[in-house]
Order: sequence, then C-alpha cells, then structure tokens
Amino acid sequence: MKLRFDTDTFREILDSLLRNKSRSFLTGFGVFWGVFMLMLLSGGGRGFKQMLNNEFEGFAHNTCILFANQTSKPYKGFKEGRFWEMTYDDVDRLKNLMPELETVSPTVALWGKSVVRGDVVSSRAVVKGTRADYALIETPKLKYGRYISDTDNAQERKVCVIGKRVYNELFPEGGDPCGQRIRIDGAYYSVIGVSWNEGGGININGNAADMVIIPINQARKAYNLGNTIQLLCFTAKEGFVMSDLIPRVREIISRAHYVDPTDEQALFLLNTQLIFGIVDNLFKGVNFIIWLIGLGTLLAGVVGVSNIMMVSVRERTTEIGIRRAIGATPRQILGQIISESIVLTLVAGMSGIVFSVLILYGVELATMEDGILKAAFQVPFWTAVLAASLLAILGVVAGLMPAVRAMQIKPVDAMRDE
Amino acid sequence: MALIDLKGINKTYDNGQPLHVLKGIDLSIGRGEFVSIMGASGSGKSTLLNILGILDNYDSGSYHLDGTLIKDLTEKQAADYRNRMIGFIFQSFNLIGFKTAVENVELPLYYQGVARKKRHDLAMEYLDKMGLTAWAHHFPNEMSGGQKQRVAIARALITRPRIILADEPTGALDSKTSVEVMGLLKQLNKEDGITIIVVTHEGGVANETDKIIHIKDGMIGEIEENTRHDAWGGSIIK
Repeated sequence: MKLRFDTDTFREILDSLLRNKSRSFLTGFGVFWGVFMLMLLSGGGRGFKQMLNNEFEGFAHNTCILFANQTSKPYKGFKEGRFWEMTYDDVDRLKNLMPELETVSPTVALWGKSVVRGDVVSSRAVVKGTRADYALIETPKLKYGRYISDTDNAQERKVCVIGKRVYNELFPEGGDPCGQRIRIDGAYYSVIGVSWNEGGGININGNAADMVIIPINQARKAYNLGNTIQLLCFTAKEGFVMSDLIPRVREIISRAHYVDPTDEQALFLLNTQLIFGIVDNLFKGVNFIIWLIGLGTLLAGVVGVSNIMMVSVRERTTEIGIRRAIGATPRQILGQIISESIVLTLVAGMSGIVFSVLILYGVELATMEDGILKAAFQVPFWTAVLAASLLAILGVVAGLMPAVRAMQIKPVDAMRDE
Repeated sequence: MALIDLKGINKTYDNGQPLHVLKGIDLSIGRGEFVSIMGASGSGKSTLLNILGILDNYDSGSYHLDGTLIKDLTEKQAADYRNRMIGFIFQSFNLIGFKTAVENVELPLYYQGVARKKRHDLAMEYLDKMGLTAWAHHFPNEMSGGQKQRVAIARALITRPRIILADEPTGALDSKTSVEVMGLLKQLNKEDGITIIVVTHEGGVANETDKIIHIKDGMIGEIEENTRHDAWGGSIIK
C-alpha cells in the first residue's frame, strides 16, 4: 500500500474531522484528559520527589553516621549503663581495618554559641569542628569563599565557614564576608566561606544554617575536648552495600572500647542508604499508581475514539460507498479511517502534553525561591516523545476496528442507502 | 470485439432463499453506442448495471470490457478498473456533501494519485464544459438537481472512461432538467464519441438513446434500434 502523506491526504482527513467539530472535540477531549493527567501526575511526582530529595541534599547516599551512647548490655566486666566516647583513634582504626570505606571523617559540635561581629550578635549557633574530607559526606553549597582545608586543620587555624542564618544575621548588608572576623567565646575567627546549605530531612549536629564550621583540631584545642569525637561519619566505596559493612564496623569500634558488639544502643548507627531506599521505594509505588491512573484514563479516551469512529463510519456508509465506486481501493479507505483516528488522537494528545507542560511550568515558577529552581516538575523531553509515539500507536489501534468495518463497505451500499 | 461483451451471465442472490436474478445474459455493446437498458423494477436491470460497473460479481459466464476479462478480480483490481474504465452517474447524484463541486470532480483523480494542480485544472476544464465554472466552489446543497447531476457527469468524465454508466440519471430531476441532462449525454455521445449506457424505466428517457435493450425476468428481451427516436411516440420525456 502506498500511503501518501501530502497536503491532499491531510485535507481529506481534516475535512472529515472538522465536519463534525463538536463531536471530534468531545472525543478528543477524552484522550486529551488522559494524556494531560498522565503528564501532570508524572511531572508532579517527579517534582515532589526532587523536593523531598532536596531535603537530603548534599548527603552522600551511602553515608553512615556513628555515635556513642550509654551501654545497654554488660560486657567484659563492665556493667550496663556505662557512658563511653569514641576517640580520634577510631578514625584511623576504621580507615586501616576497613579498606571498603571511602571517607571516614569525625566531627565535634558545641551548641548554643553566640557569634559576635562588632556589636551584632547571632545566638543559638552551633560550632562544629570538621576536617576537609567532611565535605565528601555533606557537600557544602558554598555561596562565598571555600571550605575548611587540611592545612587549616593541621595548623589549627582560626578560620570558619558560616551557615546561612548566621551570615544573614551578622552580615545584613550582604556581600562577600571573607576575611572579616567574628568572635566566638572570646576567640576571633576569620570567615573563609559561607555555606548555603539548609536544614532539611537530615541534620548532622543541628541545622546547617546555624553552623559555624571550624577546623576540628582548633575546636578540640579551644574547647578542651581532648581526644574525644562525637560523630564518626563514613561512606562506602562504590560497589559496596553499607548494611553488609556495618557488622564489622560495630565489631571494630565496640571491641576497642570494651563495648558489646551486639549492643545496638551503645553504638548508635544511622544508615542513610536505608532512608534513601525507603524514599525511593515510596516513589516507585507512587509512580506506579500515577501510570496506572494515567494510562487507564488514556485508554478510556482511546476506547472513546474507537467508538466514535465506529459511529462515524456507519454514518458515512454512503460517502465511503461513493468513494469506492469511483475508484478508492479498500486499503485507501482503511488508510483514511486510520489516519483520521491517528490525527484525532495525536492532536488531542499533543494538546494534552502542551497543556500539562504549561501547567507544570507554572508550578515551577510558583515553587521558585530567590530565582532558583527548587525542583524540576517539568516532563522530561524524552518522556514527551515517548508519550507522543505511544499516542500514534494508540491512534492506529483505535482506528483499526472502525477501519476494518469501513473496508467492508461495498460500493453498491452507497446506492442502496438512498 | 465489441467494447462490452457479455456471454451467459448468471447471477443468483442467496438471502435465505436463492433468487435467480440474471438468467444467462448475452449482450454486446459497441464503441460509441448510446444505449438504454429498460425494464420494470425487479427485472434485474440494476444487477446487470452493477455487474457492468464492476460493483458486483457474477456467478457464471464471462464479461469482457474493452478486451479485458472482468472476472474474480481482487478488490484492488476492481477499484482500479472502475476508476480508469467506468464513469458512474447515479440517480441521487452521490456527490460528497462536504466537498465543493470542483473537489467532487477531482476525487477520481485523487485516487489515481494525480498531482493536485493538474487535477484541479482538469476538473475546472470539465466543469467549464458543463457550464458550471461559476459554481465550482459551491457545495452540492447550494446547487439545483440539474447542476448537481452535471457535476456528477463531470466527475464521471474526468478519468476519460471507456463507458459511462448512468443509473436512472433523471430519476430525481424534473422534466425540464431531465431533457437538459439527456441532451447533454446525447451531445457527449455524438461529439466526443463516448459510449453511454443508461438504465431507466422511463420510456421517454430511453427514447433519447439510439438502442433500447429490454430486460425482463433476468433475460434480454427485445433489442430496438432507435436511431430515429420514435420508439415511444416521439422524444417526449414524461
């Protein structure tokens, strides 16, 4: 069969569809609504997932955080209920004994500090001591300057990276604060950077916006922390599943401090991989439901198209008979009906895509903050392309039955139908 | 060989009860003839027309159209022969209502795959011949019966068919228009030498033709030569 797709074929199709405008419109609306819902829901789902992910933003997805707690089991002569603390040696211990670990980074934190610049005070700040490699655990979104470096730490420099709230309170005039000095507990620190992270789903040592991050060695010295550390954060190397590594981590840390390795309360452990897994599964479920609803609606629309085409073919028996009498082959008739169905489905579906793209664009504008896109609600380009090709296929399917019926119309039927 | 050559055509419809409609039709019609087929309703003349127009199959016998055996054709072949060899004129005009006159005339060429421009020019030429240039872009429901039938004639002529089959071409027209239309067909036959077969049950219409073939109960009856057009007491339609 030679299906010519020139302006003629197109005019034939448009003529037939536009002859019954309101019916074509209402029929198309079913498909339009199906596609619209599908695109809108899947775009919305993506957007909400991203928004939720933003809450965890900056956290390596395979991070694990350890902290010491009161023991709940007696071990090696120690009674239960003992307080203990991790030490700086645990960092090297883990690093040396567990080659599967990528980064092992300790932190200490001191809460409720007042940060002073001139006569401006920012209270309830958290002074957090970290090393340079902590940036691999919680990626800092630096607005100005840089993060703590290894040299800062080695030389116990009095430098700090301040959080968003601290910056806004101390530097209400805005601008780059790097090089300026702020005072915490009588000691002066040079600001070397501003972190724009915000507190969200995961906070380590409190809200990131309240932080004043200083080199951990400086923190240990300034606050007489000795060898103790509060948190031990680590990430696994590519290809290792965190939950497989955790028993050995417990073993190593617990034994070094005479704590029962089976005592899960004593060595508290937060595995972000687990949390991300839950979120991922949740959205997989949501996505499944979205596609179920969207495809269902779309399918209902397509069945509608098929039905109406059937009615239309019946109505046009005479017309089709005439066409056959003056030389249209059955295949040309088949082609015409299927083309009509494809065009109706595609036009309706494309309007659905366009309309949903516009709505999602509006949603993106509405959720925008400081001119920065918080989450991409927009339908990805290739999803739209996929949807369009799916529509074409559905158009063929919808047109198939009516077209076969049209094909069976004999030219004599035209004359009989007077 | 004659243009149309029918030998022993039999046709039985089987709608619950077998109905033998055509009982061995032998007929030959030469090139350039202007023939009418007359018969009462139920005589089988419509069936004969359908077979002549390759709209229907026959059970036994043979039908040669311009030397080509028309038998057991596929739908595609039948459509192709209809398109190229036969022009139809129907009682109820059978124009497509949502197409303008010129678009209706173009349609057979559209199915031949003729280019748009050429098609349009040719259609305009034929409409001009029918004196309908001014009506080219009107829709059928804006035209009178006579005008509609002339559009249909233009549509039948545009593919330069071997024969024109007219099924009660004046059935839906008043007597004045009937005369016009028959005059037009006569003119086409005389001036352009087109073979025309008219099926009718009206004596006046049949009288306009040169030969009247009477069909009765599925068989060919009398064949009247009517070159003097006096078969029904002069050329008065109705």
